[in-house]
Amino acid sequence: MIATPDANARWRRMFLILGGILVAYALLAPLTSLEAAQSANVPLLADRLWFRIATYIAMFIVLASAWNIIGGIAGYAAFGNVAFFGIGAYTTGMLIAKAKWPFLAALPLAPVVAAAFAAVVGLPLLRLRGHYFAVASLGVGVAVGELVQNIDYAGQPVFGGATGLFLPIYSIENRGLFFFYLMVLAAALAVAVTWLVLRSRFGYGLIAIRENEEAAAVIGVNTTAYKVAAFTLAAALTGLTGGIFSQWNVFINQDNTFPIEYNVQMILMALLGGTGTVFGPAAGAVLLQLLIQFLGGTLPISFEIPFVSENARPIVAQVILGVLLVVVVLFVPRGVIEFFGGRARFSLAYLRRSLRETSL
Amino acid sequence: MRVRTSALFAVTVLMVACGGQATTGESTGSTIVLGAPLGLTGSLTKESTLTQQGYNLWQDWINQRGGVVVNGVKHKVTIKYYDDTSNANQSAVLMQKLITEDHANFLLGPYGSAATATDAAIAEQNQIPMVEANGAAQAIFNQGYKYTFGVLSPANKYLEGVIDMAATLTPKPSTVAMLSADDNFSLEVANAINDYAPTKSMKIVLFKKYKNGATNLTAEVQAAKALNPDILLNSGHLTEAIAINKAAKEQKLNAKIFAYSVGPSTPDFITALSKDANYVYDGSQWTPQVKYAPAFYLSVADYVAAYKTKYPGIGDPDYHVAESTAACLALQRAIENASSLDPKKVRDALAALDVTVFFGRLKFDQRGINTYKPMVVEQIQNGAHHTVYPSDVADAQPMYPTPAWDQR
Repeated sequence: MIATPDANARWRRMFLILGGILVAYALLAPLTSLEAAQSANVPLLADRLWFRIATYIAMFIVLASAWNIIGGIAGYAAFGNVAFFGIGAYTTGMLIAKAKWPFLAALPLAPVVAAAFAAVVGLPLLRLRGHYFAVASLGVGVAVGELVQNIDYAGQPVFGGATGLFLPIYSIENRGLFFFYLMVLAAALAVAVTWLVLRSRFGYGLIAIRENEEAAAVIGVNTTAYKVAAFTLAAALTGLTGGIFSQWNVFINQDNTFPIEYNVQMILMALLGGTGTVFGPAAGAVLLQLLIQFLGGTLPISFEIPFVSENARPIVAQVILGVLLVVVVLFVPRGVIEFFGGRARFSLAYLRRSLRETSL
Repeated sequence: MRVRTSALFAVTVLMVACGGQATTGESTGSTIVLGAPLGLTGSLTKESTLTQQGYNLWQDWINQRGGVVVNGVKHKVTIKYYDDTSNANQSAVLMQKLITEDHANFLLGPYGSAATATDAAIAEQNQIPMVEANGAAQAIFNQGYKYTFGVLSPANKYLEGVIDMAATLTPKPSTVAMLSADDNFSLEVANAINDYAPTKSMKIVLFKKYKNGATNLTAEVQAAKALNPDILLNSGHLTEAIAINKAAKEQKLNAKIFAYSVGPSTPDFITALSKDANYVYDGSQWTPQVKYAPAFYLSVADYVAAYKTKYPGIGDPDYHVAESTAACLALQRAIENASSLDPKKVRDALAALDVTVFFGRLKFDQRGINTYKPMVVEQIQNGAHHTVYPSDVADAQPMYPTPAWDQR
């Protein structure tokens, strides 16, 4: 496994080119489904199933990247980020379904409300550390979902209750494409924000908190303000995707906007890709979400697990997923980005240098 | 190692992307593909399995006959299932896969209101008709969707049959006490009665909500007892129905009709209350005793027999199975009426459908839900379920009025 610096550089170049091609393909292929492209006889490279899965992937890039800000950079293992997703979804959902706001007017409020909520609960919550913080944040995640389903006013459920909330289907040409690119924009925003944070005084403060909170306080970092800011920033990004999800999925209820498994998945994605890095959570989101969809049987490529009947497949798939994650945590503890990219952190300077080297 | 892993990653991504290549155009093959995501694992396994049984019963029958006849040509039917692990989000992705990858001509519904709601939006966006049998929440049908059709009676009809029946009895009951759990489904049932009973000149003397899952309902029954209603209605679940019946006996609340939305139809109700379960009414989507005159497919008796042959040892088919088969029948007749496999034409044929099968009348209102099939009323008579209303499908007369507790 020991590679010479030269081999490392060559490998990094290959990885970058390959990644670039894949990203370009993922972003451009959906355009072939446009009517103009179809009438010009461009081969169809991506269909609606593809959009749906790709939109989920983009969504998880945001969730994992947002978690990375509080969990990876600041080192606070937040287990309740799904609360922000749900709050964002219900903010946009309520404004559209009940107040009849247009989607694009309702969407910006999703991150605002989620961030405001994070600031309020963050102040007391972020006084806790380690396991205590993890458990408390998980509690918040669960509690908010229950509240949303059970709050009544004058005998009527305020947020749609157990029935859930229906949004009108957003009428726009190429709806699937629209939400795909919207989610991709959110993903790009999340990665860009992470990059900015890591390059700012704010980011160094968060890293200082992660490495040693007392020492950080001693050298003049306002730890409370920094932590709450990181938590709020994560909440805003998560809430934004929740808002997009609500209109994309048309129907929201407690189950699909506060799923506990999202909490776990977003953290695993960040771990898998590499916590504290810019592109790690995004890479982890792509890999893990593809794996989940593959094992769930939604991808066009089917597979057979020997000795396992068709009916038991989803259960076996879960087991495989679990084992795989254990293996990853054991053998690739610093994430695939670190694993593939060598010792250097995946920085933009590095990206620029590599691009210079590879382009003629 | 590194190269191999990354190559695997690249191949996976590319395969996903390329797999997206789909041939467009009409399915000219002779097989009609129907798609249904079901929760074959997870929390909804039991009901989803019953749903699948209902779908499969029809699939066997139609393929034995050579298939669905479209313009004189017989088309075999394949129902493609995916396991959504009882997860509504997964159900939506699989529904899209059924449409895009498996080229499903038409869709059958998943199990449960949440998955049905999510999938209805997918059907609508892809303009492929979906006939569903297991999502009774009216909210699904109030969205202006044009491609979703539900064969079952909506929640608000659950106890209206009891009121209809009561109006035909002598001496005619005139006062109703309505108790309801505070969950959405129960409230939808109860609120409908609040509006409906007065139209049959019955007065709601009490409308009382209690916490969903309550086990002690003495206070609620006491409040009802004080008003001495002719009819005691409960909209809730099994445990609450049992608690109310026990409290009614203790406090000697002697109503002429005791009717509970959900609970009495299960064997557990009779086991828990034994003799005290007698005379109790409930509303049901379907019972194995109903007598409808089917325009096609099996009679009720033949249906029950066919079920017992294919799935021996588990008793009569319950209403989940029957309504799921009915969804297939609605789709079959609509395809035949449309003389086409074109989704839009079949949608229009579904909207215009009006046919009676073993499950009852299949006709959809403007929203796409079957408000034309009545709920049947069951009564427990001498420890057995009997269908007592509507009288043309019933196998027994209602035992009315219910005798006082000390005279049983």
